[in-house]
Amino acid sequence: MHFRAFLLSALRSVTSGERRYHLWMGSLTAIMLIGAYGYSVQVSHGLGVTGMSDHVSWGLYISNFAFLVGVAAAAVILVQPAYVLKDVDFGRAVLIAEGVAVSALVMCLAFVMANSPGTPTKWWRLTPVIGLLNWPSSMLAWDVIMLNGYLVLNIVIPFYILYSHFTGREPERKKYVPFIYVSVVWAVSIHLVTAFLFAGLPARPFWNSALLGPRFLASAFTAGPAFMILLLGFIRSQTTYDISEKAIAKLATATTVAAQVNIVMLISELFFKFYSPTKHNINARYLFLGVDEHHALVPWIWTGIALNTVATIGLMIHPLRRNLRWLMVACAMLFVGIWIEKGVGLVIPGFIPTPLGEIVEYTPTWVEVTVTAGIWALGLFVLTVLVRVALPIELGQSRSPYIAGALDAPVVRPRTTRTYPKDVRPVRTR
Amino acid sequence: MTWRLALASAVGGAAAWLTTACADRAVAGDRPLQQSVHGRSRGVSSGDVAGTIAESALAIRNMTREPGALATVVAVTVRGWTGPGGRPFEVTLRTPGQTPAHARRFGTVTLRNSARTRAPNVGQYPCTSCHLGKRLTMSAKRVRDAHQNIKAPHPVQTGGACSTCHAADNVELLALKSGERATLDHTYRLCAQCHFSQADAWASGAHGKRLDGWQGRRVVMGCADCHDPHKPAIEPRIPFRAPRIERVRGHDE
Amino acid sequence: MSADLFQSPPNGDDDGTVLQKRVDRRRALGILIGGMAAGTQAVSACSPLSAATDEERELKHLEWQEFIQKHYRRMTEAERAETVVRIERLAKLRLGVNVTIDTTGAQPGVLFGYAFNISKCRGYRSCIEACINENNLDRAADTQYIRIFEMKDGPVDLDAATATYEHEVPAAGHFYFGTQCFQCANPPCVPVCPVGATWQEPDGIVVIDYNWCVGCRMCMSACPYWARRFNWSVPEVPAEVVNPNQHYLGNRARRKGVVEKCTFCIHRTRHGRLPACAEACPTGARVFGNLLDPNSEIRWILANKRIFRLKEDLETEPRFWYFSD
Repeated sequence: MHFRAFLLSALRSVTSGERRYHLWMGSLTAIMLIGAYGYSVQVSHGLGVTGMSDHVSWGLYISNFAFLVGVAAAAVILVQPAYVLKDVDFGRAVLIAEGVAVSALVMCLAFVMANSPGTPTKWWRLTPVIGLLNWPSSMLAWDVIMLNGYLVLNIVIPFYILYSHFTGREPERKKYVPFIYVSVVWAVSIHLVTAFLFAGLPARPFWNSALLGPRFLASAFTAGPAFMILLLGFIRSQTTYDISEKAIAKLATATTVAAQVNIVMLISELFFKFYSPTKHNINARYLFLGVDEHHALVPWIWTGIALNTVATIGLMIHPLRRNLRWLMVACAMLFVGIWIEKGVGLVIPGFIPTPLGEIVEYTPTWVEVTVTAGIWALGLFVLTVLVRVALPIELGQSRSPYIAGALDAPVVRPRTTRTYPKDVRPVRTR
Repeated sequence: MTWRLALASAVGGAAAWLTTACADRAVAGDRPLQQSVHGRSRGVSSGDVAGTIAESALAIRNMTREPGALATVVAVTVRGWTGPGGRPFEVTLRTPGQTPAHARRFGTVTLRNSARTRAPNVGQYPCTSCHLGKRLTMSAKRVRDAHQNIKAPHPVQTGGACSTCHAADNVELLALKSGERATLDHTYRLCAQCHFSQADAWASGAHGKRLDGWQGRRVVMGCADCHDPHKPAIEPRIPFRAPRIERVRGHDE
Repeated sequence: MSADLFQSPPNGDDDGTVLQKRVDRRRALGILIGGMAAGTQAVSACSPLSAATDEERELKHLEWQEFIQKHYRRMTEAERAETVVRIERLAKLRLGVNVTIDTTGAQPGVLFGYAFNISKCRGYRSCIEACINENNLDRAADTQYIRIFEMKDGPVDLDAATATYEHEVPAAGHFYFGTQCFQCANPPCVPVCPVGATWQEPDGIVVIDYNWCVGCRMCMSACPYWARRFNWSVPEVPAEVVNPNQHYLGNRARRKGVVEKCTFCIHRTRHGRLPACAEACPTGARVFGNLLDPNSEIRWILANKRIFRLKEDLETEPRFWYFSD
């Protein structure tokens, strides 16, 4: 009965809100429906309606997949200090981080399904006994296990904590902390395995390097916390949910360090690929300089690098990093810059030119753009739902009516202990 | 409250429709658009499908098994030579009466197999119908049939004359340096006198064309089947069309 | 009456759960039933239950069986025979063509090898033409397993080569170089498949179970020789040019969304015949045979000619050697 109350309360939290909230969810739904239409066109006509070809056989979908696995993995930046090190500042934010991880993973799985044509039910062939899971040889099989396992972990742990709070109990540390330890290691592993998908292919010299795994981790730990800062800043300014400035400052520090490492790794890549160019580096030449008359990706990658560099330098300047408004701008720049660098700037150049030297460029079609937009809308929708469910419980506003004496006792509201800096918008109350 | 239920049921209905439509189209979408099952005759019911299909498959299998090239080519054992590993091999005959079996069919396409069109490979045969035993003596009425158009850069460039290769007393035979004679089916014996490394490669399989399969009887084309001995250079020709390298879109756009 | 996160909770009997709410049950029920009816209508319009003719019903039934069929390697002989019957029937229903599906396994003591003479190839592309016809390749997408590159005399440099030449061949000062799937002894495409849809047969041919492939294209990224092709749309092969002699693992009709590649004409070579490309080549530049037979032509070439393979440093051990006179 507690569980039913939990579900009903969650449904209520999700479906009630201000007009702004309904507009947000409504527009996300509209984008999802447009994406669903694009997906139906893709399913019935085949992937020929996309911009992919035998030459460039992966495109926008796998680019987004690679980027979002990183965002999902970066939840560990909050999880580990919050639960393991019992960092008080992060404690309030960690549930949000797990929500981000869940929605990013949902998007990843959706992108993998979009990339593979036809009805999604054919993925039954991946299941171990009735199908055939080619583990341990196939890195994609590893990835399937890792991503689904991480999704389960990130649903189970927050659910246990939220449900405990909802039913008026304290969650028992010994029940969930072991899973936390597992999920910390798992988070790093999912992104390494995704990197190994690409790095393990000697056929593609653009990807086949030892640095690709570390680069993936560095960019993940930049983009993930950057998004977290944006999200936490938004929550902080719009609700009474208490996220301390210290938490945001610590996240900002983590993001800055990761961004610096990312830049260093980029410099290393550029040196490696351009100091003594060989035939193995033609893909890099195509990406950064263009080959013959083919240079479609050159403006993209330099924009991405510019965004990353400016944001990183800005973050390294202490007064700028402490300024919340500039911090938000820098985080947005980092998020977009790394999306470019890791998405389009990583997957597409691996195919141009082909191993036999042929060059066919890639432009996504409207189908790919709408499906991608639809999946991003789906992820934001899931994230909003999770946050809307979690916050009332964590704020003490939502409790099971079946707790002994709950119907008689008044609702407890925690006092806010936060102070507002002068330049942050005050909380709006209706 | 009610509008929420309406929204939920609408979304649920839409999702149900979408997945079913997708699944339906995905499974059924493998038919090319111009083919349609409408208007076709009714198929048999599933009950006796298994029996009739088994019979028909067998019948079709027997009917359409293609004959190999060897079904129509005539070949003779190569004398005195062995293939790789010391095995004997055969060479296709050059004397008339054989069909150009090595024009292969692939589906509906017939490809010319030899570097020059083979038939008629030996135009006016037998040679003795004009060359009455002596090379330069010809029956008067046959003069106008003479192959005066024969340009022979190969013997001219190598400093030879007709008699370098053709036996003086019987132009149908080839004169080898050893004094022996070879028929036109065994041109390799003559060519090998100068082109010994190509001949070695030919006998071993690295040069020339094998006509049957990789297994079993080995039949190869002779030298003159590809290289006109009087003008051995193979003419350039127009290739089959080039591939489309740019992104190729499917039919459905 | 909503417990808004953004405002203080209301007083009274509403403490934030729906249990205290008054609901107009009749309206709610009506909307739910209306939604379900609409959904059921849509479902039934698409389901097999409403298929018009016997043939359509049979087609849907066979397609469903195709969807749930086992991996080829796990099938018993009886199941394989059933699968063959079903595929032949599907070809009849979909295209109106009578085909025979062969499931012959590898001959014992046979390992296929291929040699390509770069002095002899003149760029005619007869091999490509034969391959397209023999393997029922998609005509609309112009799928071609074989590529013939034209290069200036000198080093083998694929980056400077062109495959789209449209002039008389051979062009003076150039040579010709062909690529296709090399059926590597250490294939990089096999271990990366997440569902195990591609594997190497005992006679060396790397095959794909088209009904098991999920179309993720991991194998296409893994191949260093760009040997694999994908069916981006429904492949079109006009019924009058279909080659009816097909093999389950080879040139049978593929669907959209699966990967395919050269199989050394498995339907021919397992019966002792040459692949279509080798048989069509007029110059004898292509030599095919059994590597385990010490007396074969391919073995003679490997022992006596200067041979090389593409991208040897990747240790894929292709079974396709290049040599010159």
